[in-house]
Amino acid sequence: MEFPRITNNCCVEIDFRQKNCGRQRIGGDVFLSRKLKEQRRVISVLSDGLGSGVKAGVLATLTSVMGLNYMSSFRDPAKAARSIMDTLPVCSERHISYSTFSMVDVDFENEVRIVEYDNPPVLVARGSEIIALERQQVQVNRTDKEPVSISLADFQAVPGDRIIMLSDGVSQSGIGSRALPFGWGIEKAGAYIRSQIEKQADISACELAAAIVDKAWYNNGGRALDDITCGVIYFRQPRQLLIMTGPPYDLKKDRLLADLVKSFPGRKIICGGTTANIVARETGREVHVMLGKIDPELPPDSIMEGVDLITEGILTVGLVARYLEDRRDPETLNQNAATKVLRMLLNSDIINFVVGTRVNEFHQDPNMPVELEIRRNVIKKIAALLENQYLKETSIQYI
Amino acid sequence: MSKKFKITICSGTACYVLGGAQLMMLEDLLPAELRDEVEIVGSTCLQACRRGDNAQPPFVKINDELIESASIARIVDYLRRH
Repeated sequence: MEFPRITNNCCVEIDFRQKNCGRQRIGGDVFLSRKLKEQRRVISVLSDGLGSGVKAGVLATLTSVMGLNYMSSFRDPAKAARSIMDTLPVCSERHISYSTFSMVDVDFENEVRIVEYDNPPVLVARGSEIIALERQQVQVNRTDKEPVSISLADFQAVPGDRIIMLSDGVSQSGIGSRALPFGWGIEKAGAYIRSQIEKQADISACELAAAIVDKAWYNNGGRALDDITCGVIYFRQPRQLLIMTGPPYDLKKDRLLADLVKSFPGRKIICGGTTANIVARETGREVHVMLGKIDPELPPDSIMEGVDLITEGILTVGLVARYLEDRRDPETLNQNAATKVLRMLLNSDIINFVVGTRVNEFHQDPNMPVELEIRRNVIKKIAALLENQYLKETSIQYI
Repeated sequence: MSKKFKITICSGTACYVLGGAQLMMLEDLLPAELRDEVEIVGSTCLQACRRGDNAQPPFVKINDELIESASIARIVDYLRRH
């Protein structure tokens, strides 16, 4: 069985963490990313709206969505910046229209373009060193308003690089405190990022973003005085995951599943009792069901040599689809088979599904107390969510 | 020393939704006098629902005997009779 080839052996992992100012339920910072699959490009925008709460949220959302659209359709960042600034509504209290942004555009050869306006500078870490970018200032003329200057930079990313985007809630955290009278500052934040990477060389995008946001929160004495946001783009060796679910339609293909367990270069999950039995039979290995800790929502998971996780089939994948749809964080959920699958999905870059299409007729019995969906449809939904919402690469093969 | 009974509980989809979920707690719910005589293991799927003989899930296997429509009461009853 063939899986999609990985281009230049490097993939881009993007994640962000955020804390809203004070007790605001709506953030005034917005971080958005979009993958343009056909062009193999990824664009991320961090925008900080004036103030905090709803009004700031609207400004920042408008800015980041426009930023994404302009960056994906046009190559001229100055034009994009001008249109954004001309469009923003004027604040009724402060009589200015304002939101700051940083936009990062990564193309298929890992060429990076950065456009910034008034946000703290985007940091680039190569290994654990922060590298200095050459920035070019460009003047943007606006209708009826003073011209402003935006900064442009580009560089060639290599595996191991990280791009860190911060809102001023991070760089100004701790301001006025005894320890940091002038705030944390970009230098000290950079030093903190270095220390985090030195401590854990393969720290993931979400872990690093969480560490930075938590530190800024701590600098403020456990409060968010402004919206605190950090987005991280990490270029790294892709992590591959294989999910086998469902018995093959053709019995002769049972053997294929066993071969995959032995040969696949990455982590492996089996979702489905029968599928697990087939692999056990064909490889001569034993499956052990973990009856210890049980979440009443789902059947327990099992273990087998050479497979990272074995779960029940349709109920588990159904719940995984729901978790993905609701953007749930596996750390805040009841620990069960579905949260384990979720965690492995989020920690992988390329997810290959091998879906057996044989149907257990009993599942279609109208007396079943719950509706059991067709496996193929649920997997299609999961793959689409992973591609569009989580920017993962996926493949589905039916057997 | 091997126990007198080996109970295998099916945790496949059909068994689980038709009442097998409760069986997962069998160990805690067994009467004290039986607890030392049984060994409880799980199975990813006993494949019993695929036989097409109208037997109803949930299934458990006690030693080599398959029990359909299994419940805690039914299992305890079986153990007491044997």
